[in-house]
Amino acid sequence: MTIATRRSSALVAALLASSALAAPALAADKTITIATHYNQEQMAPLLACFNQYEAENPGTKIVFQQASYRDFLQTIMTARVGGTSPDIYNIYSIWAPQLIDSGTLAEPPADVVDFVNENYGKGSVDAATIDGTLYGIPTELSVYQLFYNKKLLAEAGYDAPPATWDELAEIAAKVTKKNDQGNITVAGYAYGPTVANAVHVFYSQMYAAGVAPYSDDFRKTNFLDPRAITILERQGKLFADGSTSNSVTTDSFASSGAAMAIMANWQKQSLIDAYGDEFEATVGIAPIPDDGAKPGTMLYSFLWAVDSASKVQDESWALLKWLNSPREGGLSCTGQMLNDLGALTGNLGDLAAMETGDFFTKPFVDAIESGAAKSQPNVWQASEDDRILRSYIEQVWAGQMSAKDALTAADSEVTAILAEQDN
Amino acid sequence: MTDQQDRATRYGQAPAPLPDLIDDAPPLTLRQRISSKSVAPWIFLSPMLAFGVIFFLLPIIFAAYISLTRWNSLTAPRFVGLKNYEYLLTGDPKFWGTVWNTIYFAAGTLAVGIPLALVLAYAFTRAYGQAFWRSIYWLPMITNVVAVAYIWKFLLDDSFGLVNMALGKLGLPGPGWLTNPGIAMISVILVFVWMQLGHNMLLFSAGLANIDESYYEAARLDGASESQLFFRITVPLLKPTILFVLITNFITGLSYFTLMLVLTEGGPVGATNVTALYMYKMAFEDLRMGRASAVAYILFAFILVVTLIQLRVFRRGGVEAH
Amino acid sequence: MAIVQSRSGGAIAWRILKYALLGAGVVIMVVPFIDMFLGALRTPAERLANPPVYWPRDPQWINFKRVFTETPALIWFKNSIIITFAVTFIQLLTSSMAGYALAKFRFRGASLLFRGVLGAQMFPFFLFIIPVFFILRYFPMAGGNDLFGQGGSGFLNTYAAIILPFTITWYGIFLMRQFFMGVPDELLDAARLDGAGEFRIFFIIVLPLVLPGLATLGIFVFVYQWNEVIWTMTITRTAPDLQTLPVGIYLLRGAFADEATQSLQQAAVAVSIIPVMFTFLFLQRFYVRGLTAGAVKG
Repeated sequence: MTIATRRSSALVAALLASSALAAPALAADKTITIATHYNQEQMAPLLACFNQYEAENPGTKIVFQQASYRDFLQTIMTARVGGTSPDIYNIYSIWAPQLIDSGTLAEPPADVVDFVNENYGKGSVDAATIDGTLYGIPTELSVYQLFYNKKLLAEAGYDAPPATWDELAEIAAKVTKKNDQGNITVAGYAYGPTVANAVHVFYSQMYAAGVAPYSDDFRKTNFLDPRAITILERQGKLFADGSTSNSVTTDSFASSGAAMAIMANWQKQSLIDAYGDEFEATVGIAPIPDDGAKPGTMLYSFLWAVDSASKVQDESWALLKWLNSPREGGLSCTGQMLNDLGALTGNLGDLAAMETGDFFTKPFVDAIESGAAKSQPNVWQASEDDRILRSYIEQVWAGQMSAKDALTAADSEVTAILAEQDN
Repeated sequence: MTDQQDRATRYGQAPAPLPDLIDDAPPLTLRQRISSKSVAPWIFLSPMLAFGVIFFLLPIIFAAYISLTRWNSLTAPRFVGLKNYEYLLTGDPKFWGTVWNTIYFAAGTLAVGIPLALVLAYAFTRAYGQAFWRSIYWLPMITNVVAVAYIWKFLLDDSFGLVNMALGKLGLPGPGWLTNPGIAMISVILVFVWMQLGHNMLLFSAGLANIDESYYEAARLDGASESQLFFRITVPLLKPTILFVLITNFITGLSYFTLMLVLTEGGPVGATNVTALYMYKMAFEDLRMGRASAVAYILFAFILVVTLIQLRVFRRGGVEAH
Repeated sequence: MAIVQSRSGGAIAWRILKYALLGAGVVIMVVPFIDMFLGALRTPAERLANPPVYWPRDPQWINFKRVFTETPALIWFKNSIIITFAVTFIQLLTSSMAGYALAKFRFRGASLLFRGVLGAQMFPFFLFIIPVFFILRYFPMAGGNDLFGQGGSGFLNTYAAIILPFTITWYGIFLMRQFFMGVPDELLDAARLDGAGEFRIFFIIVLPLVLPGLATLGIFVFVYQWNEVIWTMTITRTAPDLQTLPVGIYLLRGAFADEATQSLQQAAVAVSIIPVMFTFLFLQRFYVRGLTAGAVKG
């Protein structure tokens, strides 16, 4: 079976199922709707658990709703505005302050709070805690590192990943191939079109340089730190050198159209799909290059949360607890899904039961355990702040603004938004 | 209710199509009164009036009110007076950029689209095989915008799109049609012109068909060349149609944003972020309903002024032509 | 005229130029569709190659079948049909009723109302997106709402939310009025003398006379509604079972992002175009009338 058909048969399942969710709920006493950004294919282990749960708890029906990651916050907000919210969301931790401010998230009952405190690592519990209150059960942890294509680097005469940014820029320039029109066919380095493609990478590089993106009280940014400005200047230089362009995206990494990118570990499964037997021979993971400071990067977390308007809150929390409790064989239902995705989790039992010793996963786990990976700060209106920052980063990439001007402008806009939480 | 009335009148009296005229006028039944000449028009108008109140007047008032508040639609709105307008017009770093993009887009579609449509319509109107040409040129016009966007996304890909591959074969450079912030808006304009060409051609050819052939014959007898015919006869006689197309296209262009939403999402670097798109995203991504409504009202006011000015010009132009 | 043309070399040159122009335009109009069609036939391997293969060596006709078996396209298709036909039917009814009243009755406020219809056309669609969304959501007594519009979700997540804002268009009323103006008053008066009620006159006598007008408005509304994206997307973002073809294809773009599935996306795009294309080919002459009727009046 070729890679292609495997991937498309997975899509079949995904799409068929997303149409199945359209079917009206049958005459069940309690219907629990769960929304995630995972597609049907990725959700397969959880869907099996849903069936089991339905069988064990007659009268309960579980409906799965998928929304693409890019639209996810907008979808749950619109659903909330429209009074058609699902009961359970799998949300990105930085959305939490905004959702809590609008009263969207329900506080978990005491037994769930105890369950989380007993079974989850501190970093992930912190990510799910806003102003001292825990709002859900942590799930997927994602860590950023440098991905590199061993074969493309070797072709250009490099057998090791770059340790400093200057090396990265040099390798990127060497690897890049262009057609007669000067358009890139193989890029040395790749960014991408989403907000995270720019902003998460920028934050990760800031942590790698030893500076947090926001002040500790989340009222100010550190965008004007000289180290932050240098990072953005260097990004702009990659564009100016022609080692990357807007038409190259992190997706190109899977088709050997880009040699390096800073990406998160959840890419694992799609890269295995893309490279098959050549996965280990092609893909390499390295710390984010900086000027030799201590290694550092960013991690972000998702959490299971329950909508405060849900009519089946108790049932929802009970279901969530069940989904995240260890089963025979060690992994919980959520843990099984994350494991199959190649993702990491804040659930200590699951993390211990996962296969994390392989060449790909180990560097990410190491970064979590050593404390090198810092949790993304849950600042006010984070998704809007990030979009603003992305818009200025883009202008530096395009050569329209200097890094200093761009970050000055971003700082003043974001600071104004951060101030809104006090009035 | 009207439905039942209709059915009553249609089927209830079906066996006797013509009521007895000889009858002495009896007191009017309810049915007769409703279908009388003075009441009937109001019943015919009732759907329009109900719609006009619920989906026209009410939204306009409601939008005006929320534009004066800060409202995330989840908690109660907070009245802030004209602060939203003040922020947009004086503080917002993006707003004026989107206004410029809007004008650029609207003017660009006119500058490229109108001459092209006019020339093609001129060629089309007196050509053989009208049905054939028409079907082809209308194809993009009836294609949904999502399809248009995905068709062109593939065509305009930097390295592997058909357009740049063709340019490459000719030894020409291949610009980043949708990735270069300096070019993206031009690409969006060209795609939009492609979509709308059939529409404008149609309007022009209807106008051209109304020009009497005898003008051309007379001019040809006087030895006029084809280009003279076009500029001396066609263009002046077509002036009302040209003005009409200019005005409607400009207004459409100022309020249009679907193609940008689907094709470029306003990027790269906000180069195709027009004001209406800015409003849409502000409302449904950031849930700033108040500020977004203020954007809508400012844009509407701008379009209204432009429309009124153009209507004056149009009237004058229309009169001159006759 | 033939004599004149044979005399003029310029006229012959112009003729050649004319067809060359039209021909070049045809290429630009048609090639994008062919490109999409070829894309729908490519294999994933052809797409993953660097550079990708342009002409599909092993055309995947099955992609057109897969669109229906492997994506929710069948549901989208069904929704597109339901919504488009419902809106077309309702608009034909409401526009002809209102247009008839404005064209054929004299009553107080008639000219004011007509000017209102003309003026209302100046209000652009974007102004209504936000408020109409909330009006539908807080509509009293709908979708679990109480008298004050609280408690439920109103019309959201129902077909009504997609259809209601399009039950009337001002342009449709204006257009139908123009057609009704052409119906002679004498005919109506004769029917009245025969004792026919006003509704009977409208439905049995007058409507059949403006069938061309109904066809014109019908094709207009059909094409518009089939292709409508913004409103349907806003309303069905959280209701995948109500999405139409264009909206579904757009919102599922994430699942189509990699090379392996782009062929499927292009096949879905082709499927979304075909129904309206056929409708249009058969009814295009009516479309001309709709557009030019607006142009003549201004």
